[in-house]
Amino acid sequence: MLTVTALSKRYTPDKPSLEAVDLQADVGTITAVIGPSGAGKTTLLRSLNQLLKDDEGQVCLDDVDLRQLSKRDLQKARRNIGMIFQNYNLIDALTVLENVLHGCLGAKSTLAGMFAHYTAEEKQEALKLIDEMGLSDFAYTACKHLSGGQKQRVGIARALMQHPKMMLCDEPIASLDPKSAQMVMTILRRLADDKGLIVVVNLHQVDIATEFADHIVALNHGRKVFDGVPADLQAAQIQAIYA
Amino acid sequence: MTPQTFFRRKQRLMLLTLSGLLVSYAVASIALGFQQGALLQVQTGFLWMAQNFLPTAATFKLLPAVLFQLWRAFIIATAAAGVAGLLSLLLAVIGAKNLGQRHVTVSFLIRGFASVLRNIPIIAWALILLFSFKQNELTGFLALWFMNLGFLTRAFLETIEDFDTGKLEALIATGTSRPVAIMQGLLPEIATPTVEWLLYMIENNVRDATLVGLLTGTGIGFLFDLYFKSINYPAAGLVVAVLIVLVISLELLSTHIQRSLT
Ligand SMILES: Nc1ncnc2c1ncn2[C@@H]1O[C@H](COP(=O)(O)OP(=O)(O)OP(=O)(O)O)[C@@H](O)[C@H]1O
Ligand SMILES: [Mg+2]
Repeated sequence: MLTVTALSKRYTPDKPSLEAVDLQADVGTITAVIGPSGAGKTTLLRSLNQLLKDDEGQVCLDDVDLRQLSKRDLQKARRNIGMIFQNYNLIDALTVLENVLHGCLGAKSTLAGMFAHYTAEEKQEALKLIDEMGLSDFAYTACKHLSGGQKQRVGIARALMQHPKMMLCDEPIASLDPKSAQMVMTILRRLADDKGLIVVVNLHQVDIATEFADHIVALNHGRKVFDGVPADLQAAQIQAIYA
Repeated sequence: MTPQTFFRRKQRLMLLTLSGLLVSYAVASIALGFQQGALLQVQTGFLWMAQNFLPTAATFKLLPAVLFQLWRAFIIATAAAGVAGLLSLLLAVIGAKNLGQRHVTVSFLIRGFASVLRNIPIIAWALILLFSFKQNELTGFLALWFMNLGFLTRAFLETIEDFDTGKLEALIATGTSRPVAIMQGLLPEIATPTVEWLLYMIENNVRDATLVGLLTGTGIGFLFDLYFKSINYPAAGLVVAVLIVLVISLELLSTHIQRSLT
């Protein structure tokens, strides 16, 4: 379970980007974070795996406060947290297989990582994940030749290679066509249902959030302005969130 | 501002730039007293060059000796670029502002060091190094190496600073350490421009090696000097011809490699 308590973050002293945000996310559920541009969605998500530091509050994954960990222990903890991005952030020059295998670099010694030394089992597992994402024809294709929807599925496979407990998704469908967007959201839904992952996803589209999420959190100016199930989110509230 | 005035202003700027370029030539020719009459004789000049520098059948006996020196120039050029390239890459990774180098002074020092090395002309390098290393091939190698180190460090710094560090962050988010993320994430992405710069450097080194050889009394440059001063113009022409062939082949090779990389 993910428990965030009183999380605050300011880039500049006068303007908070997150202010005392509380949040709980259970295993096997999708939590959607919505809110207007600049509300603090990305800031929140990047605090959850401590890519952003110098914040205040608590970020506990299974009762371990990530903020208290040493550099080494944080690195270890991050292996449990997968992340996908709006612009995919794949290594475009490398093949799909290599990108997926990057998901297990964190579990390797520095030397093995430096020289990309992967075991036969790891390669087998990567190929299986690529197959699950419907990309088996592209295993040896460089990622720069893929479409956006395909790239995002490579991103998901790379994250799954980590065997994560939690999956962070920063606007994973914002650059995709409606069909690919549905596909990616359906995959995330399956990860929550079948693999029991904690999924936290930033979204711009409220309709997608209500369709796929179990739990919606809305931010505005760094403050939490809604926290509940999709059914409770009324039109008037949506207007207020985006006001 | 209307579209008309906007485009008229742009056209005026274009005209001004062009006339500025012509004026600069006019100023130089008046100030330095160019004998512009000589330009009218340019074809006779070229004709003389063609007649005298054209390798004759007799000069082809020298071909093995010339090719031997060309080969040596080529391996020195490659070795200098290669060894400098490795160190440059390391310096650029340490100095790049977008890879998490928090100490501005480190970045500044590496940049400054590279600029100084790069901006000392190759001739000056050769002359300076002659004092300590005397007339031998090592002097030429080192002159190229110092210049290459500066040039490539600057080039790689710029290449790396164009890199989108979101990709690096994505790897760090998986629990990978920064050195591994750089090795697996950054290097594949900059491989193509890096190889391009190295090939360019080798090409450039072959040309410079001739010049350096003139000063250090070694290699292909020395051979050219020798033939030229002993008024064996066809042989000097042969040296130039094989150099041109080598440089053009390198250019073709590098275009070919670039195409297969992308
Ligand atoms: N690196 C930074 N330095 C300074 N201010 C920042 C930085 N990153 C974000 N901010 C500010 O923090 C606030 C929240 O930004 P954030 O990126 O979290 O918003 P967001 O909800 O993800 O917006 P979007 O929907 O546009 O992605 C914004 O006001 C933004 O200007
Ligand atoms: Mg954002």
